[in-house]
Amino acid sequence: MKKFDNTKQNRHIYWNPYFGGLLLGLLIIFTFYITGRGLGASGAMKSSVVAIVDTVTPKHAENNAYYSKFINDDKSPLNTWLVLEALGVLVGAFLSGALTGRIKLKVQHSPKITKKRRLIFALIGGILFGLGAQIARGCTSGAALSGAAVLSTGGFITMITIFGGGYLFAYFFRKNWI
Amino acid sequence: MGPLIPNELIPYEWNNIIALLIGIAFGYILEASGFSSSRKLAGVFYGYDFVVLKVFFTAAIVSIIGLLYMDYLGYVDIGQLYIHPTYLWGAIIGGIIMGAGFVAGGFCPGTSLCGVAIGKIDAMVYVVGIMIGVFIFSELYTFFEPIYNGYFQGNITLMDSLGVSPFWFILFFTIFGVVAFAASDLVRKRVKKVFY
Amino acid sequence: MINRKLAKFLSLQYVVLALILILAAAGLLLLPKYVKHEGIDTKELLSNTFSNERYISTDELANNIVNQDPSFILIDVRDSISFKKNSLPNAINIPLKKILNEEASAYLDQDQFDVVLYSNTNFYADQAWMLCNRLGYKNLRVLKGGINEWFHTIINPTKPTENMPATAFELYSFRKAASMYFGVAYLDAIPKKVVKKVVRKKVKTVKKKKKKKPEGGC
Repeated sequence: MKKFDNTKQNRHIYWNPYFGGLLLGLLIIFTFYITGRGLGASGAMKSSVVAIVDTVTPKHAENNAYYSKFINDDKSPLNTWLVLEALGVLVGAFLSGALTGRIKLKVQHSPKITKKRRLIFALIGGILFGLGAQIARGCTSGAALSGAAVLSTGGFITMITIFGGGYLFAYFFRKNWI
Repeated sequence: MGPLIPNELIPYEWNNIIALLIGIAFGYILEASGFSSSRKLAGVFYGYDFVVLKVFFTAAIVSIIGLLYMDYLGYVDIGQLYIHPTYLWGAIIGGIIMGAGFVAGGFCPGTSLCGVAIGKIDAMVYVVGIMIGVFIFSELYTFFEPIYNGYFQGNITLMDSLGVSPFWFILFFTIFGVVAFAASDLVRKRVKKVFY
Repeated sequence: MINRKLAKFLSLQYVVLALILILAAAGLLLLPKYVKHEGIDTKELLSNTFSNERYISTDELANNIVNQDPSFILIDVRDSISFKKNSLPNAINIPLKKILNEEASAYLDQDQFDVVLYSNTNFYADQAWMLCNRLGYKNLRVLKGGINEWFHTIINPTKPTENMPATAFELYSFRKAASMYFGVAYLDAIPKKVVKKVVRKKVKTVKKKKKKKPEGGC
């Protein structure tokens, strides 16, 4: 009986995915209409890394060909559009979570695996995603979603390869999820 | 005539405030659609929950169609929008690595931020992971540079590379999306239920 | 039972939604196509063509230069060889071939200065005028008659004959004065010291209001 309750919960907590998709699509149009650019998320993390490295070892950051691209003398690497947008994402998600009572400090994992395993895999996944997002110059939101909206070839390739890569490796990680 | 800020119809100073507002809307939509749950996100790869596919494709279709209509009616000049540049092998290799990361960690950067906002510890670890990933990339930049900067084809669109009319492409893409939605529901019925 | 009905209703809804999406996409296909072009439309171009503002006479230009009017820039659309041989003071050389270049648009596509185009005659300058107008550039003028006319009227003005009206003499004296300004010596003016006026090169900084390019995503 408990399981039944769970399915009920699953069905009713979240928005209808098509409704969410419609709103997300409209938001992308709005973003392009106002700013001429798309959404993004991994850029904020890149800026944070640059900022951290720049404060810890400024010399090293200047010598590195990659960090130095994002370091400006007159403004902090954190003062970018994407960082502000990411802050907005945190606020928006918090609002939505608060309104529906989903805020809770916890590790979400399949009952078949331990917390520790989940966290280790989350770290590995994060490292891979961070690496991949830099190589492809964008993540699911920046490259795939916003790229697809303007029919960018690179955006479509990234979109296909992210999902393709996911299915390709899904088998190896199946124990974590099902 | 949009885009408004590059054409200075809205003063540039507003850019940051608008960034924050857009971010709030983005985060709200993602969280409310269930993107703060890694188990829900990973479902798309195992066939027990296709919310990612549905939200993602609906958003893509709506935004492409909407932008083209706005371009047609003259509200926005599609030529002035930022078109994600195409670095062929960078996109392919990076995409596959991201796919592996997605299925291993169950998040992508945007959704992990949503997870952080509602207190998911695994999402916080994931964000730290992304930052480590960026750090590794930057430290080994000379090693990755050939892929990162190579095979550059410009800021091209599908029309340039496939030589098709955008309108036909969108029609097929929409039909493909609708078929994918229907198929995903069928698959979901067959896969054993996973409760999370 | 109710659930099943609800499910049916919902699935019907989805079918309708899917149809709306497909129709919206197909609608794009059926929209009447038109070629979008940058710049102004043909009617406006035509009215610009017959505008009084299109040409500037050599006298007007000479007057502007002598008075050091800062509100215009001179663009020489001939090739660089002829430009080096002879040109008007402070002119900028943008050969017609390069008129669509990025650097050229910095001078042409701005609304701070009037742009005076000239070539040997009207011919190339008119073509440049047409091209730039088509791109929607503002404040374009063409020097009527070009350098040849300039030479005939300003540098080497014909002396009016006795039976001509007084205005012709006024014009002549103006032209003569102007040509002296540009360094031509006259016999009757020789007793005075020939002061070859060095035309001060004014470096005009053309500030182009550049549209901000949108930056990248992630």
